[in-house]
Amino acid sequence: MTITIGIACFVLVLVMFMQFKIVNETDITSIENMRETELRTELANWKSKYDETNAQYEEVQSTIEEYKKTKESNEETEKLVDDELATVNMNLGKTDVEGEGIIVTLRETDNEEISQINADDLLVIVNALKLAGAEAISINDERIINMTDIVNIDANTDNLFVRINGQRILAPYIIKAIGNQSYLESALVGKGGYVDELRTIGHDVTIEKKDKMTILKYDDEITTKYIQ
Amino acid sequence: MTHKRTISIVLGIMCFALTLGICVQVRTVQGTDSTVSQNYEENNLRAEVLRYKERYENRYKELEKAEAELEKVRQESTQNNEDLEAKEQEIQQGNKMIGLTEVTGPGVIITLSDSTRDANSVLNASELLVHDGDVLSVINELKNAGAEAISINDQRLVPTSSIVCGGNIIEINGEKVGAPFEIKAIGLPEQLAALSRPGGYLEILKNATVGVELKKSNNITIPKYTGVITYEYAKTVN
Repeated sequence: MTITIGIACFVLVLVMFMQFKIVNETDITSIENMRETELRTELANWKSKYDETNAQYEEVQSTIEEYKKTKESNEETEKLVDDELATVNMNLGKTDVEGEGIIVTLRETDNEEISQINADDLLVIVNALKLAGAEAISINDERIINMTDIVNIDANTDNLFVRINGQRILAPYIIKAIGNQSYLESALVGKGGYVDELRTIGHDVTIEKKDKMTILKYDDEITTKYIQ
Repeated sequence: MTHKRTISIVLGIMCFALTLGICVQVRTVQGTDSTVSQNYEENNLRAEVLRYKERYENRYKELEKAEAELEKVRQESTQNNEDLEAKEQEIQQGNKMIGLTEVTGPGVIITLSDSTRDANSVLNASELLVHDGDVLSVINELKNAGAEAISINDQRLVPTSSIVCGGNIIEINGEKVGAPFEIKAIGLPEQLAALSRPGGYLEILKNATVGVELKKSNNITIPKYTGVITYEYAKTVN
């Protein structure tokens, strides 16, 4: 009797360990373990990546052809180089851009029980806007570029202020983002939306849709010393 | 006699608990194990995903070749004119800053890993995990410390990169990556290493018992962005 129970316990423990091992070894990001809905998202994802890459490929090919054709003429080559440089500058945030989008305004609160909006809040909102496909973002006309930092200065005092790109920023915070209006808005409101969360705790936040607006360029030299 | 009965009851309860444990485990595994959940349609979908992935990868290789050729052609076309040569340099430098070409340089490598501590020993097991907010904050601090190029598990940060939580994994540039997170940053190593200053974010994470490791290096390579930056809504105005 005791032996039977002992063996049963042993087998059970063994099975449990095997299970633990399988769970540990299962890679949840691997395609073999995806369910139907995940697979559909994945498929859409690869399709759009393929389309993007294909379009880019064709563009690069045609630029190569044009360079080859204009090789003899400095003037025509210059136009090609200028075009490429314009794209680079747009990517860097060194040009003013316009388009449809939203403007999020966060005002200072009189309510002393809740903390003022700070850099961490702005960081989360900017991240959410990027996820929703924002093509250009600025906060109080400070353009958000690739290496832009948003930090709290004097965080433990009453004189807290926010610094973006090394510039002091004061409330109200006006965040402009160019992109699909509905995507951008729905990234901030609704279930789990950060603006909704801020409103719930008592902050005054408004979102305005714009059919056309301008976001200013990054107004300084962008220098690098270490990348090669 | 009562003694024997007590033993039987205890053993009975133990067996029951073990069986329960196994049932829970089996259910968990069923949620992920391929051999259990596969069906015809999912297999079809899976095949199609793989087909598109392959198509993308082939096209991407061709794109890389084309970009290298463009670089060459552009250099050849501009080499006999100082003005154009300067602009050509500007294009190259710009693409490095945006993340469209691979870069090397001195900097730091920060590794964030989920805590190895037993999840049962703390009240909130979630504290032992690295979250998207943690990664976002570390990245922000690196930018503040003057980083010129950053990657997370080899996903290069470009102007449109976002970091989101997707369950046990986080998504960067739309790609899923799991812990441990290896963050590479190029810049002045001493300045970047100042992240581990008292009160700095790395220390906060450490106190939250997340695994944090910072290594300086003189030779870090950060790969290029594997996506494409395009504009559908924004237009340059002069």
